[in-house]
Amino acid sequence: MNKIYDYLVIGAGPAGMSAAIEASKAGLCVLVLDQAASAGGQIYRNLGQAGSKQAKVLGPDYVSGKPLLARFMAAKCDYQPLVQVWHIEAHEKGFVVAVLVSGESITYVTSHLLLANGAMERPIAIAGWDKPGVMTAGAGQILLKSSALLPKQVVLAGSGPLLLLLAQQYRAAGVTITALLDTTPKSNYWYAIPWLVAGLTTPTQLFKGLWLTLVQRIKIPYISGVSHIEVIGKEHASGVRYTVSGKVYDIACNLIMLHQGLIPQTQMAQLLGCPQVWNDFKQCWQTQVGAAGQTPIDGLQVAGDAGAIGGAYLAQLEGRIAGLARVNSAAELRSRRNKLVNLWLRFRIKQLHWARGLIDRLYQPAAWLSEPSGDTVVCRCEQVSAEAITAIANTGCAGVNQLKSFTRAGMGACQGRQCGLNLGYLVAHAQQRPMSEVEPLTVRPPLSPICLGQLARRSEL
Amino acid sequence: MTDSLFRSLIKDPPQCPIVVNGVEHQVPVQLSVAAALLYLGHLATRQHPVSGEPRAPFCHMGVCFECLVSIDGQHKQRACLRQITPYMCIETLMAGLN
Repeated sequence: MNKIYDYLVIGAGPAGMSAAIEASKAGLCVLVLDQAASAGGQIYRNLGQAGSKQAKVLGPDYVSGKPLLARFMAAKCDYQPLVQVWHIEAHEKGFVVAVLVSGESITYVTSHLLLANGAMERPIAIAGWDKPGVMTAGAGQILLKSSALLPKQVVLAGSGPLLLLLAQQYRAAGVTITALLDTTPKSNYWYAIPWLVAGLTTPTQLFKGLWLTLVQRIKIPYISGVSHIEVIGKEHASGVRYTVSGKVYDIACNLIMLHQGLIPQTQMAQLLGCPQVWNDFKQCWQTQVGAAGQTPIDGLQVAGDAGAIGGAYLAQLEGRIAGLARVNSAAELRSRRNKLVNLWLRFRIKQLHWARGLIDRLYQPAAWLSEPSGDTVVCRCEQVSAEAITAIANTGCAGVNQLKSFTRAGMGACQGRQCGLNLGYLVAHAQQRPMSEVEPLTVRPPLSPICLGQLARRSEL
Repeated sequence: MTDSLFRSLIKDPPQCPIVVNGVEHQVPVQLSVAAALLYLGHLATRQHPVSGEPRAPFCHMGVCFECLVSIDGQHKQRACLRQITPYMCIETLMAGLN
């Protein structure tokens, strides 16, 4: 019989680490599972090992994760890195989590589960995004954080804080940025003005953001008001074509990094049956999460960007309140101090999510990004084009799940992570239905691939 | 293989030997397998099983499955999730093997 954990946390980013710290402090038996080789999540990836040169280029926000990382490493909890979660299911004692560790499948049992597995980049299906030479801005940052690798020359394209931050970091490292193509629609600036009030409640963040935006505009070839980006080239990217005020331009380049904001990774919550809600403001599906991370499923919590995109600091607070809620429910430790901490955390989380509205509104993706057409590949794994998907959607196909049976879109190795959102957009456009009515792809195990041999060898529950 | 589009931030980083498609190379020790392939100038790392078109690592965080390669005889491994180890044998999937 397996050991039964009091609290199993998936993801060792700011949310997961904070929750584990709180729960283990109260004496609970905690296990943290993480995909990466070291704790920190994507934001503080490799922070414990990064050299001084990397830290200098990545900037103060990266290094600011060190105290949290140190507290997590000192916490009395079990931590298992390099883990692939391939299945989670409800169990009479709580949940069973099946993972692959160094090629073998192991199962863990826990009474309570926290999903803190973070976000991924919004997939942007533009023509040629499947060609070698195209990657995401997040990928560029990961290469810098874990491998200290830099492009020799690059074009950055898209919109959002991460793209500007990467531009800043690349500039600090002496990378030639041929151009930054900003796809933020001009109208977004007007629509974002009322949200300045919200942004002003976090003045340091607001001014840091403004400074970052202004500096890039001066220091690198910055082209704003860009739309209809496509990657040109035969076998490999050789350039980018884009439109500004109705005029089409080409830039020669062989490396393009795209970014259009983040979306939560909801697959694990979906697999466990958590209802998904369409957030029109953030343009993504989200798991319904309560103030302390609770979900409609008993014993299951979601915290950080896996619930709603809010960034590292918010994730840290959400992880903390989720951990405290778990402790309170376990030991009835409803001390006055805990109550006050809880109240303060609830207030800060509400306030910061409100302030985040400024970023969400300003960088809301342009409409053309949700309308891929022609032979643009939408499902990369099965190579299904936008026109093939639209043709099926026009015949009155019931939704993305039926579309998957007809076209194979969403059936490949990534299990719809890269196409799911865009399949929804195409169905919604073709059938003139709101996105909230086009249900997302159903998630089925395995969450990540597992060989039959590994499945056969797996230890019994 | 062509000239690499990438370089190391660190001057003269410590090296590690790896074997790519049967040829031994020295690469900076802290690279992931996907990073090592990019560093060595592999623009594409696999051929798409449906279209036969070349593909390359895209997300570097395990969600896109574009960086599948064979590592030490294990087929279809995500190159972005694995760190290189001395004399690791990496085969790109460029010959329609995938």
